[in-house]
Amino acid sequence: MLIQQDMELGEKLAILADAAKYDVACTSSGVERKGKPGQLGSTVAAGLCHSFAADGRCISLLKILYTNQCVYDCRYCINRRSNDVPRAAFTADEICRLTMEFYRRNYIEGLFLSSGILHSPDYTMDLLYQTLWKLRFECGFNGYIHMKAIPGADPELIRRAGFLADRMSVNLELPTAEGLRTLAPSKDRKRILTPMRQIQRGIEAQRQELVPYRQGRRFVPAGQSTQMIVGATPENDYQMLTVAEALYRNYGLKRVFYSAFVRVNDDSLLPALPGGPPLLREHRLYQADWLLRFYGFGAGELLSERQPNFNIFLDPKCDWALRHLELFPVEVQTADYNTLLRVPGVGVRSAKRIVAARRSGRLDFPDLKRMGVVLKRAVYFLTCGGRMMYPVRMDRDFITAQLLGEEKRRVWDIGRQDSFRQMSMFDDGMLSPVPSGEDRRSAVWGEL
Amino acid sequence: MVIFTCEDSLEGILCGVYDAWMSRLGHANVRLELQERGNLRMFSEYRQTAKEDWKTEKVIDTIRRKAGQEVYEQVFHASLSREEEKADRIYRFLICALHLGPAVTDMLQIPAVYELFRMNRNVTREAMHLIEFIRFSQLREGALFGVVGPENDVILLMAPHFADRLNAENWIIYDEKRNKAVVHPAGGECALVRLPDEKWRERLTESGDQEEFERLWKTFHTHIAIRERTNRACQMTHLPLRFRPYMTEFQ
Ligand code: SF4
Repeated sequence: MLIQQDMELGEKLAILADAAKYDVACTSSGVERKGKPGQLGSTVAAGLCHSFAADGRCISLLKILYTNQCVYDCRYCINRRSNDVPRAAFTADEICRLTMEFYRRNYIEGLFLSSGILHSPDYTMDLLYQTLWKLRFECGFNGYIHMKAIPGADPELIRRAGFLADRMSVNLELPTAEGLRTLAPSKDRKRILTPMRQIQRGIEAQRQELVPYRQGRRFVPAGQSTQMIVGATPENDYQMLTVAEALYRNYGLKRVFYSAFVRVNDDSLLPALPGGPPLLREHRLYQADWLLRFYGFGAGELLSERQPNFNIFLDPKCDWALRHLELFPVEVQTADYNTLLRVPGVGVRSAKRIVAARRSGRLDFPDLKRMGVVLKRAVYFLTCGGRMMYPVRMDRDFITAQLLGEEKRRVWDIGRQDSFRQMSMFDDGMLSPVPSGEDRRSAVWGEL
Repeated sequence: MVIFTCEDSLEGILCGVYDAWMSRLGHANVRLELQERGNLRMFSEYRQTAKEDWKTEKVIDTIRRKAGQEVYEQVFHASLSREEEKADRIYRFLICALHLGPAVTDMLQIPAVYELFRMNRNVTREAMHLIEFIRFSQLREGALFGVVGPENDVILLMAPHFADRLNAENWIIYDEKRNKAVVHPAGGECALVRLPDEKWRERLTESGDQEEFERLWKTFHTHIAIRERTNRACQMTHLPLRFRPYMTEFQ
């Protein structure tokens, strides 16, 4: 399991990209920074996706590990100590060169740097810090950098690194302390939450201008994110979503990512998953996460102890609307923005357009369609000038059956991995900056 | 019906707008068309618009004053559209815009406004995609060369992004469908030039160290995908085939 020394750069890249790919965060959003004369790079608030891999996921950053050598033995992880896999390590110079040269050719938006734990958390964090320092100050790289904060590393190292990175992340990995204890005994919850809290405080202190910029740089300007693995441990959707909500609220996270568990290790403590990674579940969690962040929903509105898992056949917003038929239909001409947002088939952009357009006159169903409303879903919940598009019985079973016709097809597509379709993603125009560029891609539906 | 024909450019179209408007024939009795459109209509009178700077300036000034900068930008984007009907659509939109003012951009229920919005969205979307998907190769002398084949005439919209980001580099973005390019000298200003096809192809074949990084990029692109999640259809939705011939990782 020794690191081979005389490896070619291409071989290292293959190993260390392979080892990094199970981290799903690949976003370059959250900070708008102009170029600097003589330097390379800029950042775009909405983030940019430069390519798409064979698994349909966006490639925005050069996502690599510094090394896949690790002293820990997390059960779910391909890089764990007990695995017999080829090991490699970059040098700081190699990472700088790859980043600069890929960036110039517009292959990438920046660097995503993580690592297995070499010797100790401090040692590893220092390696990452040194690499970023070189990249920023010796190479003059002004593009996006996402960096991992290594749990257990010296807070001072994390603080310094935070002035070089745009985004930092610490992965929660498993939503409950029990899950962690079984599958990642070296990572207790407190160890993970400590750096998360530190980064949050750093960002807040800067916002209140309590800390000076360091060499003109801000601390983690694009905020922090985390990831949870879906389906490696028995937590239900309600638990996952509640944890996500708490992270947004109490830790000020920018994003929570969900990663359908891929069984890379044969381990008796890991679930078997004969159907492959739980992609549909991951999809539903992303939809719900979206509803939390942009649609004003709370986790408790979407799920409960009594209904702890998402409906396989209906997206969370339709599901919610069907349980609240007493609130519908709503009138396009008068309903306020937040009410419109809760109508299935109406998204953030279309709701904004409706509110803007109706000031100057009446809207009819064809107008709504042009504004990006998905009428197939919305017709059951909307009136235009007091009329529905066609007479509809406000009856739960009837509407469910109608919606299912459409949704079943989509679910079926997701279930069959080879034809996982992003059906209505592009129904709507993509001009408004919110939700951000990568959201509208990584998220797996159109107007909910 | 009197048909005003104009050159396929922002200036040309705005001159057409000026002539059609000032003819005082009534909006319903005039139409704008791009020159060199094959099939002539019977029972129509054709009038060729002369492109003159003072007309363009006058129209731009009126748009800015009465309808605002955003309307002007939308018109500019629409003028880059590949759609043949764009000149008349811009004319119809401007009739509304000069009447209703800056708020016009919200009134998507008006067909003329929606048509312009749609063209504008189409152009902007393609420019956005190409900003993400364009690939540069390094020529021997170190300059970066990127080729695109866009449906709409968007290289002008791509240029500011790269002028900022790659400010210290010499680069060229070449539109192979229209044989023109934006050229950016390191530390300088962009210029739009005509570039005949053979010239750059020659330069590109004797390129510098690109191969090493092109190989490395392909390696990365392959290895970053999770095999268990293979999903070509999803990849297709996000990255339609028409972009791929220009992208290193798919060559
Ligand atoms: S710490 Fe755990 S998850 Fe991270 S690389 Fe090591 S074994 Fe894998």
